[in-house]
Amino acid sequence: MNSCYPPHNWVACLKCDTLSVLPPISPGESAICPCCGATLFSRKKQSIERTLAISTAGLLIYIPAITLPLLSIRALGVYNEVSLLQSILLLIEDEFYLVAFCVFIFTLAVPLVRLFSTFYLSLQLKRQQITPSLLTFFRSYHQLDHWGMTQVFFLGVIISIYKLLTMATLTIGSGLISLFLLLLCSTLITSTLDHHYVWEKMEQALAISRE
Amino acid sequence: MLYRASKLGLSSCPCCQKLNYLAQPNARCARCHTQLSFRKSHSQQLTLAWTIAALLMFIPANIYPIMLIYKMGVPEANTILTGIVTLVKNGLYPIAAVIFLASFIIPFIKIIGLFFLLYNTRRYSNISRTKQSQFYRMIEWLGPWSMLDVFVVTIMAALVNLGFFSSIEAAAGLSYFALMVIFTMLAAHSFDVRLLWDIERRNIHV
Repeated sequence: MNSCYPPHNWVACLKCDTLSVLPPISPGESAICPCCGATLFSRKKQSIERTLAISTAGLLIYIPAITLPLLSIRALGVYNEVSLLQSILLLIEDEFYLVAFCVFIFTLAVPLVRLFSTFYLSLQLKRQQITPSLLTFFRSYHQLDHWGMTQVFFLGVIISIYKLLTMATLTIGSGLISLFLLLLCSTLITSTLDHHYVWEKMEQALAISRE
Repeated sequence: MLYRASKLGLSSCPCCQKLNYLAQPNARCARCHTQLSFRKSHSQQLTLAWTIAALLMFIPANIYPIMLIYKMGVPEANTILTGIVTLVKNGLYPIAAVIFLASFIIPFIKIIGLFFLLYNTRRYSNISRTKQSQFYRMIEWLGPWSMLDVFVVTIMAALVNLGFFSSIEAAAGLSYFALMVIFTMLAAHSFDVRLLWDIERRNIHV
């Protein structure tokens, strides 16, 4: 059956379709397309262990990050505080359904799905229990990769702080710190998860289980 | 000599990058079962459609106010550009620059840039392919950052709710703006950079 597949160390660049033979790369190195300079693969050090640790941390910090108040404001004797979840509920109350939907998807749903799928994936790989359902999880991670916007939301909070500083007293809440940690976790996952390694591991395991 | 994978009937999976021989049109990747094709299907048409949609949304997003500021019960409408002007008047130059970049310059560059890249997949241009694909990767990377203004208004509208004295509300322009950002992101995702290299190959061999 394997005879109808091209050699496994051949690789085509997703950006310019150039065929190249993948050299052996050690952890910490990347292979670059000789034609257009895009990264073909990069090997990461202790990918599974690190990803497992970071995604666990991310899942733990997720609930505080969305429910605790990000900022509180005090002006003219009136006090108000707001969390990520509340700001979405207020948008729905004001009938801005489209904007509420966008904020919900990009800052709540996508980061959660990414964290959960990497957590489940690295846990199962660590335990050597690879099932076909893992393929779906890793595929969903790939599809959602571009749509997570925690970093943009965080910058948005910083900018609103600067804009409002002139008119009121602002206090940074514990939610903002949690949100920063969540952002840190989701950024670190991108740099620790070794896609090529995970795919190869799953391919081998599923091929054995099929036989 | 560099070979193109599609010349040899090989297609790399868009999801897991495994090389597959692509014999029938609707084959799936042997490793992750993603649908395979040599190039993204209907790439040019889809990119053109999404880019035009984004361009159309760019107009109401800039005309209508994105935010209403109530001071002592009197509403003051703020569009993207008047908001920036207010920031400059208040002396908040760095913030004004960031907002101006994220919500005006970047979407504009993205829309124009996609039209330009799309045109270059039809007509051969002398600008190097490497430069063009770097430009495309930049457009792809910049995508989410235009959402900045949507998030800023969301937070400010939720936070500044101080009754009669002062409150901020989102306004109609914000929905158009969010749509515009999503459309440019979809346009960037449906564009296939490999088409730029295909036209170069065709030109050299002719």
